[in-house]
This record gives sequence, C-alpha cells and structure tokens, in this order.
Amino acid sequence: MNLLLSDDYLLQDYPENITNTIRSGHTTCLRFNRKGDYLASGRVDGTVVVWDLETMGVARKLRGHRAAITSLSWSRCGQYLLSACQGWRAVLWDLQDGTRYREVRFRAPIYTADLHPWNHNKFVASIFDEAPSLVDMTTPSDVKHTLPSAPKRTNTDADAATKEKQAKEDAKQMTTATVWTATGDHILAGTNKGRFNIIDANTHEIIWSEKICSSVVTTLRLTGSGRELLVNSQDRIIRTFHLPNLSAEGLDPDTIQMPLEHKFQDVVNRLSWNHVTFSATGEYVAASTYNNHELYIWERNHGSLVRMLEGPKEEQGVIEWHPHRALLAACGLETGRIYIWSVTTPQRWSALAPDFVEVEENVEYIEKEDEFDIHPQEEINKRRLDREDEDIDVLTVDPSKGYDEEVGGEGFRMPVLFNLGESDSEEEFVAVSTGTVRRRSLGEGQEGEAPVEEKAVGGKKTIAAKGTKGRRR
Amino acid sequence: MTVDSTPTALPEPPTKRRKIHDDSTGSTPQRFDTPDKAADKHGLRVSVREKELDSRSISQSRSRSGSRSPSRERRQETDYYSSDRRSRSPSSSRSRSRSRSPRSSSRSRTSSSRRFRSASPRSRLRSLSRSRSDLRSPSPLRDVLGHDPSSATPPARQPVRPHYVPRMVLTGHSKAISQVRISPDGRWIASASADGTIRIWEAATGAHMDTLVGHMAGVSAVAWAPDSQTLATGSDDKAIRLWDRVTGRPARVKPLLGHHNYVYCLAFSPKGNILASGSYDEAVFLWDVRAGRQMRSLPAHSDPVSGIDFCCDGTLVVSCSTDGLTRIWDTSTGQCLRTMVHEDNPPNTSVCFAPNGRYVLTFSMDSCLRLWDYVSGTVKKTYQGHENSKFSIGGCFGTLTPTATTTAIDAEEDGVKNNSNIGEGAFIAAPSEDGDIVLWDVKTKRVVQRVRGAHDGVCFWVDVHGDTMVSAGQDGQIKVYRHRGPDASSDDDAVNGKVNGVASGIKALDVNGTPADGVSGSVTPLMDVDVKKEE
Repeated sequence: MNLLLSDDYLLQDYPENITNTIRSGHTTCLRFNRKGDYLASGRVDGTVVVWDLETMGVARKLRGHRAAITSLSWSRCGQYLLSACQGWRAVLWDLQDGTRYREVRFRAPIYTADLHPWNHNKFVASIFDEAPSLVDMTTPSDVKHTLPSAPKRTNTDADAATKEKQAKEDAKQMTTATVWTATGDHILAGTNKGRFNIIDANTHEIIWSEKICSSVVTTLRLTGSGRELLVNSQDRIIRTFHLPNLSAEGLDPDTIQMPLEHKFQDVVNRLSWNHVTFSATGEYVAASTYNNHELYIWERNHGSLVRMLEGPKEEQGVIEWHPHRALLAACGLETGRIYIWSVTTPQRWSALAPDFVEVEENVEYIEKEDEFDIHPQEEINKRRLDREDEDIDVLTVDPSKGYDEEVGGEGFRMPVLFNLGESDSEEEFVAVSTGTVRRRSLGEGQEGEAPVEEKAVGGKKTIAAKGTKGRRR
Repeated sequence: MTVDSTPTALPEPPTKRRKIHDDSTGSTPQRFDTPDKAADKHGLRVSVREKELDSRSISQSRSRSGSRSPSRERRQETDYYSSDRRSRSPSSSRSRSRSRSPRSSSRSRTSSSRRFRSASPRSRLRSLSRSRSDLRSPSPLRDVLGHDPSSATPPARQPVRPHYVPRMVLTGHSKAISQVRISPDGRWIASASADGTIRIWEAATGAHMDTLVGHMAGVSAVAWAPDSQTLATGSDDKAIRLWDRVTGRPARVKPLLGHHNYVYCLAFSPKGNILASGSYDEAVFLWDVRAGRQMRSLPAHSDPVSGIDFCCDGTLVVSCSTDGLTRIWDTSTGQCLRTMVHEDNPPNTSVCFAPNGRYVLTFSMDSCLRLWDYVSGTVKKTYQGHENSKFSIGGCFGTLTPTATTTAIDAEEDGVKNNSNIGEGAFIAAPSEDGDIVLWDVKTKRVVQRVRGAHDGVCFWVDVHGDTMVSAGQDGQIKVYRHRGPDASSDDDAVNGKVNGVASGIKALDVNGTPADGVSGSVTPLMDVDVKKEE
C-alpha cells in the first residue's frame, strides 16, 4: 500500500548499502520465506532463528540440531521450515508452535535439503559422499527413495571395455546439490564432476544429463518462475541457463536443450564464488566472493557487472535476495552477523508540508480565473461539500498490489511470542542507549530478548561494545 | 421479480464491464487488466516484476501529470452531473420515504415501493447511474476471488441500512470510559477507563471477564492484537502495558516505557508484531511487540498525537494530532509519506484507515468527519451531523452484508462467503458530544441511523464489529447494540418495547423513519433481501 505514495522507491532495483546488521549467534545459512516477511537463519550451534523483517527482531528460535545448519527451505505456505545440519539430520519445523513436525536421519552430513514447492511432506536432499535422497514424509514413517547420480548413457551398444570404464567413472559421480523445479515434477541435480542431471520425481530416473562445468557444482538456484537456472561451480564461473519447460506434454527427454545464457567470472582477480543468488525477478545475479569482502551484482540482460557492494570487513558466505524487494541478506563468515543490504531513500520534504511540492524545474505560476474571488464562507463550504460526489469504495482491496494473494490469500500467520526467553550462551549485546551497548548478563532475557541491532557500521560498534562491556545499567 | 432480474444483470458480457472501467478509471490500466490475470491464476504465475513495473508506471504518470490527469477531470465532470441529479432528486426521495414509512409489514412495503419506482422515471434513471458506478468498484474483487457467482450482487446500489438496537448496558467502571474496542474475533470487548483499569467483557453475554489493574493513572487507549489474545493499553502514567486476555495478567512483566508524557492512542499492526503508540509528547513510537523494544520514534507532530492506525497490509501508519495535521508514515522506513491538513486546520481527535486501506477517516473538532484520499491528498467526503468541539472522540468503519443475520458469528461467516456483497454496506459510526451515536453511509454521506441519548453526557467511543456495536461514554457505561436485519423489522414494536425496558434514557429508535432516509436511493435491494429471507 505504501507503493501508492512512493515512486522513487522502485527506480533502483538492486540494493546499495547496509541498512541493518542483525545477529543471533554465528549464522551460517539464510533463507527468506516466499512472502518475504521472515528470514530464517541457521547457526553454527544448530539453532534455527526466524527473523521478522519488519521489526528486525527474532520471531522464533528453533532448537534441536546439534551441528551447524547447512540448508534451510520454507514451505509454500510459510508454516513449515526444513533445516538440515552437518549432524546427519533434517528437521521439518512447524512454526505455528515451534515444534519438530518431522525429523529425518541420514547416514552422512547433508549438503542441501530442498522442500517440494507444493507439498511440504516431500523433500530432496543431497548428502555428503552418498546418493541423493527423495524423502516422502506423508506416512508416519518416512520413505527414502535413493536417486541416481550416474549420468544417463545413450550408447548402449558400446563394447565391454568402454562400459567398464564408464561404470568406473559413474561410480565417482556424487551429487552435491539438488533443487526442485517450479512445478515439483522434476529434480535438478549437480554432481562433483560438473555434471547436471534432470531427475524425474516420479520414476526417480535421470531423464537428461550433461556436463555443464569442469568442477564441483556447489549451488543450484532457480528464479521464481522456474525458467532460469543459476549454477555456481568451483571452476570460478557462475553460469545461467534457460531451463526448458519440463512439464510440457509429451516431452521427449532426448530433445531437451538447456542453452547457456551467461558466464559470470572475474577474469582479472580469478575470484571464486562462495554463494550465488538470483534477484527477485531473476534480473540480477548476486554472488559473495571467496577470500574477499565484496558482493558482486551482475545484470542478466547484458551480462554486465553493475555493482560491487563493499561494506563489512569480512568475507561473506551465504547470500539471499529478498523474494520481491531490492534487499539482500548476507552472513559474515567470521562474525556470523547477518548484513541486510537495501535501498535507502531520503525523506521527501514535501511530504511533511502539504502545501509544498517538489518540482524538477521552475514552474510558471498561472493564476486561475476565480482564484482570488471572495465568496462568503457558507458558500465556500457548500461548494466544497457539493464537490464531494465521487464514488468512494472503502472496502474493495486493490487487487493489483498484493504479493499476498500470490501466496494464497490468508495463509499462515506466525504467532507473536513474548517469551523468547532462552538466553543465548554466546555473547549478545544489549542496547543501553543510543550508541552504547553492553554484554548480556547471565540469566537475563526472561523478559524477552532484545537482539542487537547495530546500525550503520557494524565493525565500529563491536569495538565500542567491547570497550564498555563492564558497564551496567 | 427482483430476484429474477439480478442474475440477468450480473453476467454481463465482459466487454461492457470493461467499457465501464475504461470510462471511469481510465488512469488505472492495472485494474483494467486484472480480470485477465485472475483468469489464469492457477496457471503460471505472473512475475512479480511485471507488477512492480506496472505500479511504477502508474505512480510516475500520476506524479508527472501533477495529480490532474485528464481522466480525473472527466470523472469530475460526470460526478458533477450526478451531483446535479442528486441535488434535484431529494424532493422525490423524501416523498417516497414518507410514503413508505406508514407501512408496517415488509410485504406491503415491497409492493408499494415497487409501484412507486415504476411511477417515477427519475428514480429509475438514478438507480441506473448508480449501478454503473457501482459495478466498477466491486468487480475487481469479485474477479480476483473468482468464486461465488451465486451470491447475487444486486446491480442497483443497495444503501447500507444499519439498524442497531440496544441490547445490554455494561456497568462497572467508576469513571468515564475513554475507549472501548471489540476484539478482532468479535468475542470480547475491552474498555479503558479514567479509573485506571481495563475491563474485559464477553460480547455475546455481556459477562464481565476480568479487570486489568496495573496502570497508575487513567487509561486512555486500548488495542487488541489481531489474534485477540493480547491487549495493549496506554495510560497517563506514560506506560504501555501488554496483557494476556486469558489470564488477565500482564503478558510481559515490564511495561513498554519510553514516552515522556501520557500515552494517548495505540494500534497493533495487522500481523501483531508491531505496536504503534501516540503520546502527548508529540511523538509516535513503533514498538517491536515480541522484544518489548522501541523500534522507531517518529517526530510526528507539534501537538499531542491523538489518533493512530495501521492500514490493512501493515505498510502504512497514519497519525493525527490536535495540531490539525494527519500524517501517513511508512512502517518500514519511518519516513513521512504524506501530510494532510484541512484549510481551516481543525484539531483532529482520531483517525482510522478505511477497511481497504485506501482512504483515511479523520475526526476533527469542527464537528466533521473527513474521508481523505491520501494519494491525492484531498478530502473525498465530509460527514456532518454529530457534535464534536471539545472532546476527543473516535469511531470506526462498519460493514453490513445485505444478508446480515442477527448473530455476529453468522455475520462473520457471511462476510467470508460472499465477499462480493460487502461492498454494499459500508458505514461510519461516530459518537457525539450530546451522547448520541451517528451512523453515516460512506458513499452518500447521509445519516442512516442515529441512536439518541446513548449516554448521559459525552459519548467518547464507538466500535463496530459485524453485527455488534459498542459505545462508551462519560457516564462510565458501555452499551452493546446488535444489528437487526430488515427481516426482523416486522417486530419492531417488540424491540422498541424491550429497548425501553433495558436501557432507561434511550429513546425509542427511529426505526422506520431514520433508515428510510438513507434508503431513498433504491428500494429494490431491500426487497431482494426480504425475498431471500422468506425462502
């Protein structure tokens, strides 16, 4: 609704500066929900924290994992959150009451776990040194389907020697990243040898595969529409592809083509990329850099670099773009802080004074014919009231604006909790007054938790905080 | 006959409707193309980007053309004509209402009115023009929802016809009551009083559930969280307290402290995660409800902040002050997006958003309520008829579905079921300093009901939820009213008798006369309802 009143907002559609720094423990993993009002963060200690982006405060804390969170995935409705950790477990949380809805154990650490886009009882996981798994939790005991990693071979008539060689090669293929297509009919998988497989979710068979890069595929991302694919690989190149419509009627897997669109790389510095993300509409691609502090933003239309975001003096790991705003969340690798990058617009001063208008250029004042005519007050009032004859609709909600409708109208509403009491073992700072913070004392936080919101330059604040840590209220 | 006429009128060929769109709201192409989008809603989703662009182009065009696009001028012109028509029509309408008033049973009314309608060609003309303008407004909603073709929206405008009759008087507060609010689920009533307590009542029975004691001074504001489980109260002791409704205990041990002067008004965001407070210290604070932390302080006004509200999607906050200004704030950035002030600069005492968040209603101390279009910054409607020059009063919007039944729960279900009908019944309820409660039709600005002498002395606050209306006043009493649909009007006498029995000092309501005044526009919908009820 605020879009009705601001136009300059939308002119810039990629973030420019850090608007917030939030912290709860050491964050390693981030994911926005579909509606974009909550941000889930996974910590090193295995706690999952759900942030309310409106208040920039903690909305829920989910405890249950004992190792660092590696992957997070929201259900479409926003009520369920799947988290996977290095401790061989994946947990599906019900955010209505914060309980563990389901828990699934694996035999190795999990790289990624991705919830089915429409059905929160299914997810696909890629596992360290094991075959990827499609987990169906519809029934009380979950069913795991093992998915293949070996590429699809077409040359069935090859001789024994070749076959043996291929089998050897295939045995080395390990899936490192999996993601659902937008419809949920297929699973996209990347392997450690740079191969890309499309797996049918029903038959669990690879219907198409190709070598798309020369090294391990680390990240696979899709745009909201599911038509573009973003691949990060350890060969220091980020690739975007056009994904064919896999749900088309009578699709022949042999005719699938996945044209490469762009290759993003830093040829000069030979940078490698920690994590990549599409912007809300897929118009931009953002990446965090390995051993470097900057975030890179490319524009996908021409494939040009539009922006390098510099801010915190630390390398950043996982980055996530907000599902419909020009807002980026990135987590620092050293401090574990979450940096929120966004667009700030200056206050329009004309908004404060109703009789002022901001004009681009000088406007010649033209007096209206009757502007200074003198009328009796009653006459003016009467005229004014008579003019108020427009038809007013105070009930119909303008359907054009909402993202809410897309998510499905009502949807899930997260309860507002007061007793997020369980204090954190790690140091967290309490704001004492503007500019000063102090360390949280033990046992405090029964009264609800005040997450530190360090505005502007986070680094300086920390120093200040350390200096004043003995201070008491 | 009317029942027959409705279905034929409804499935109009889309081209025609589109034409109407074209005529009236030529400036908004996005509304123009929503029906098509809605059609393939279940197919591939429309990309977000497209929408953004869409809205951007609109806002830009608006700003560039200096808020006077040609289409708007045209519209004004047509409005002018219609006003012309309207100004001519009262004579006919009044005579009609008079002719209708003697009838006592609903059936005789239908026949007489129908006859009347056919007799006067002008009235038909008018209802036609109305139907056109009306078709435009509710249709996008109907299209998007894409369901319920069955609940027939009468093509003719059905004026809202509130008919609230007193049901209960709740006593207990020892001093004047500053605010009374019904919980979002309609089950509870909370009242804040100058005696420093807050009381919770059950809306259906009037049973006193709890008294919240803790404030050190009079309580001027109370707000319900959207889940109806939590209450926020603001007091002259400068504190804001959050209460658990179920236990009646503070939901958080420490109150929200930060205001330097009396806390005067409160509002929860639609998600319940943000609380906005306005104070005598002239600032608006936004609180993170979960953490009990002050999120933002807005240097809002140069006089006490007297009213505050959130819009339905939570992105905007409106605040008003006795300095005469009404300001719209962006929740996420804390920036002021718009300031509205009326020429005469009367002090504002309360403000609320329209149910769809598109307009803002201000209560000002020149005995006027003003409905502002905050995008253009102009007054769209002025409602007069109550008295307000000394005290801070506040009311709200109310909606009635044409099929509204006598229980609140039913009304709620109805509201969910036939959303398309909601557009038919928006009204505004406001208290008056002479103790009355006045209800206006939003579109026609006419008083559609006046509850006389609801309170001894000033009536401070009115709140409406579906079929229930509550009011509170200087006399420390809370009155609960219940809407009675037109079908129940046959036993009006009985109701009136009961009214006099229950609430002494409440004069018999002008049941037949007053609402009829507002109905004058078209009588058909009334019959429509009646017919439905009889089935």
